[in-house]
Amino acid sequence: MPRVIIYSSFVLLLLLAVPPAIVAKIRSTPSEGRPIHIVQDMDYQSKFKTQTPNPLFADDRAMRQPVPGAVARGEVFDDPHFHEGTLDDGSWASEFPARIDVDLEFVERGKQRFGIYCAVCHGDAGYGDGIVNERAMTLMANADGPLQGTAWVQPKSVHAPEVAAQPVGQIFHSISKGIRNMAGYEAQIATEDRWAIVAYVRALQLSQNAPAGLRAEATR
Amino acid sequence: MSRFLFPKWSNLLLPGLIAAGAVMPLYAVFFVAYGFSPKTLDAGYQPVQPVPFSHALHAGQLGMDCRYCHNTVEDASHAAVPPTQTCMNCHTQIRPESPKLVEVQESYRTGKPIEWIRIHKLGDYSYFNHAAHVNRGVGCVSCHGRIDQMEVVYQSQPLSMGWCLDCHRNPEPHLRPVSEVTNMAYQPEFELTDTEREGLLAKYDIHPSENCSTCHR
Ligand code: HEC
Ligand code: HEC
Ligand code: HEC
Ligand code: HEC
Ligand code: HEC
Ligand code: HEC
Repeated sequence: MPRVIIYSSFVLLLLLAVPPAIVAKIRSTPSEGRPIHIVQDMDYQSKFKTQTPNPLFADDRAMRQPVPGAVARGEVFDDPHFHEGTLDDGSWASEFPARIDVDLEFVERGKQRFGIYCAVCHGDAGYGDGIVNERAMTLMANADGPLQGTAWVQPKSVHAPEVAAQPVGQIFHSISKGIRNMAGYEAQIATEDRWAIVAYVRALQLSQNAPAGLRAEATR
Repeated sequence: MSRFLFPKWSNLLLPGLIAAGAVMPLYAVFFVAYGFSPKTLDAGYQPVQPVPFSHALHAGQLGMDCRYCHNTVEDASHAAVPPTQTCMNCHTQIRPESPKLVEVQESYRTGKPIEWIRIHKLGDYSYFNHAAHVNRGVGCVSCHGRIDQMEVVYQSQPLSMGWCLDCHRNPEPHLRPVSEVTNMAYQPEFELTDTEREGLLAKYDIHPSENCSTCHR
C-alpha cells in the first residue's frame, strides 16, 4: 500500500479526536459563551419573572415598588408592642409580645437566625469579635491610615453592661431600625424572627453573666 | 494494451471503508450526545458581572451564610439576589471608596438596582421552587456547586430535565439535615450512614414528584 494512504488515514483518525477534545475543553472551563440554545423552543417567553428588568419603567424594574403608604394584606401595624417594641405610652417594652410563645424551639430559631445575620459581625457568643470585624480591624490598622475610606466601629458586645440592662423592646428596636453605625435589619428578617433573635440574645447574656444564684443552681 | 488495473493492495480498501462506514455513525452519535448535551451547552456559564463581587471572599473567607443575602430562599420559589441596601450594611464602613464598589455606591445614591447578569435560568416553561428543596434537606451545593470557592459565579450543573429527574427518582444520596443546607463543605456521603439517610427520607416525608405538571404548570 502506498505510504500516502497509510499516513493520511492515520491523520484522518487523529483529526477525529479533535472535536471531542474541543468539547472536553469547553466542558472543563467556565466561560461567557453559554448557554447555547440551538433550538430555542419557548425558553425565552415575553413575560416578566421575579427580579427581571423591564425597560418600560424608569428604574428598569419589572417588580414594581408599592406606592408610598400602601399597606399589604396582613401587614397592619396595629400592635406597637409586636412591631416596634414599644408600649402604648411610648416606653420600651420589657416583656415579649403576648402573641409570641417564648419556648425552647423559639430560642433555637433565634440561635439559628443569630448565626446567619449577626454572628458575622458580633461573633458566635456576641462579644463583637466576628470574622468581618477582624477583617475590618486589619483594614483600620493599615500602616498608611485606614484603607479606602474604611471607618469601622467595633460591634458592641451584647454583654456590655449598658446593653445587658436594656429592655427587650429596645434591643428589638436596635435590630429593626439599626443603631448608630449598625444598619437596620427590618427588610431582611421577618418580625417574628427578630423577636426570636432578641430571645436568643437574652439567653446569651444570661449564659455569660448568670447571677451567682442561678449558676449555683445549674451546677448543683 | 494499457488498461488500468487496481493494484493488489486495493483489496484492503473495501473492508476498510466498511469498517469506517460502521464506525462513523457511532462516532457521530457519540459526538452529538457528548457535545450537544446540556452539560456542554448550558453548564459552565460564567458571565462577567458589573461588580467584581466574590462569593469566595464573602461566603468562603468571611463565612457569611447564604441566607444573609439570599434571604427569601427558605420561604419563596425565587432566591432573591440581594438589594444594594444589603451590601451597604457593611460597605458604608468597609472600603466605601474602593474603585470596585463604585457601581454599588452609585446604585445606593440613585436607587437604581445593580444590573447583575442572571446565570441560572431554566426555560420559561418550567417551574422551580427553592423553598420546596431547601426545607427538605437538599443543600445549595447539590445544585450550585462550591459557590463558596468561586471568585465569579458559574453554573456548575446542567439544570436539564434529565438532571432534575435523576434526583427526583433517587433523592436519598443528596439528602442532609435541614440545618446543614447552606453548609457547602458538608458531604452527606461521609457524614451520614445509610440508615440515617433513610431516616431523613421518612422524617421530611419526601416523595419527589415525576408528574409533568409538577414542573410544567
Ligand atoms: C455589619 C455588622 C453588624 C451586623 C451584621 C450586626 N451588627 Fe449589631 N452592631 C454593629 C455595630 C458596628 C454596632 C455598634 C454601633 C455603634 O456603637 O455605633 C452594633 C451594635 C449592636 C447592639 C448594641 C446597641 C446599643 O444599644 O448599643 C446590639 C444589641 C446589636 N448590635 C445587635 C445585633 C443583632 C441582634 C444583629 C443580628 C440581627 C446584629 N447586631 C447584626 C454591627 C453589626
Ligand atoms: C454578601 C452577599 C451574598 C452572600 C453571603 C451569598 N451571595 Fe450569592 N449572590 C450575591 C450576589 C450580589 C449575586 C449576584 C452577582 C453574582 O452572580 O455574582 C449572587 C449570585 C448567586 C448565584 C447566581 C444567581 C444567578 O444569577 O443565577 C447563586 C447560585 C448564589 N449566589 C448562591 C449563593 C450561595 C450558595 C451562597 C452561600 C454559600 C451565597 N450565594 C452567598 C450575594 C451573596
Ligand atoms: C457582612 C459584611 C459585608 C456585606 C454584607 C458585604 N460585604 Fe463586601 N466585603 C466585606 C469585607 C469584610 C470585605 C473585605 C475587605 C478587605 O479585607 O479587603 C469586602 C470586600 C468586597 C469587595 C472588594 C473590595 C476591594 O476593594 O477589594 C467588593 C467588590 C464587595 N465586597 C462587594 C460587595 C457587594 C456587591 C455586596 C452586596 C451583595 C457586599 N460586598 C456585601 C464585607 C461585606
Ligand atoms: C434542587 C436544586 C437547587 C437547590 C437545592 C438550590 N438551587 Fe438555587 N437555583 C436552582 C435552579 C434550577 C435555579 C434557576 C431557577 C429559574 O430559572 O427559575 C436557581 C437559581 C438560583 C438563584 C438565582 C435567582 C433565582 O431564584 O432564579 C439564586 C440566587 C440561587 N439559586 C441561590 C440558591 C441558594 C442560596 C440555595 C441554598 C440555600 C439554592 N439556590 C439551592 C436550583 C437549586
Ligand atoms: C438533588 C436533588 C434534586 C434535584 C437536583 C431537583 N430536585 Fe426537585 N425536589 C427534590 C426533593 C427532595 C423534593 C421534595 C419532595 C417532597 O416534598 O416530597 C423536590 C420537590 C420539587 C418540587 C415541588 C414538588 C411539590 O410537590 O410541591 C418541584 C416543583 C421540583 N422539585 C422541581 C425541580 C426542578 C424543576 C428541578 C430541576 C431544575 C429539580 N426539582 C431538581 C429533589 C431534587
Ligand atoms: C422535575 C421537574 C420536571 C418534570 C417532572 C418534568 N419536566 Fe420537562 N423539563 C423540566 C425542566 C427543568 C426543563 C427545561 C430544561 C432546560 O431549561 O433546558 C424541561 C423541559 C422539557 C421539554 C423541552 C425539552 C427541550 O429540550 O426542548 C419538554 C418537551 C418537557 N420538559 C416535557 C415533559 C414531560 C412530557 C414531562 C412528564 C413526563 C415532564 N417534562 C416532566 C423539568 C421537568
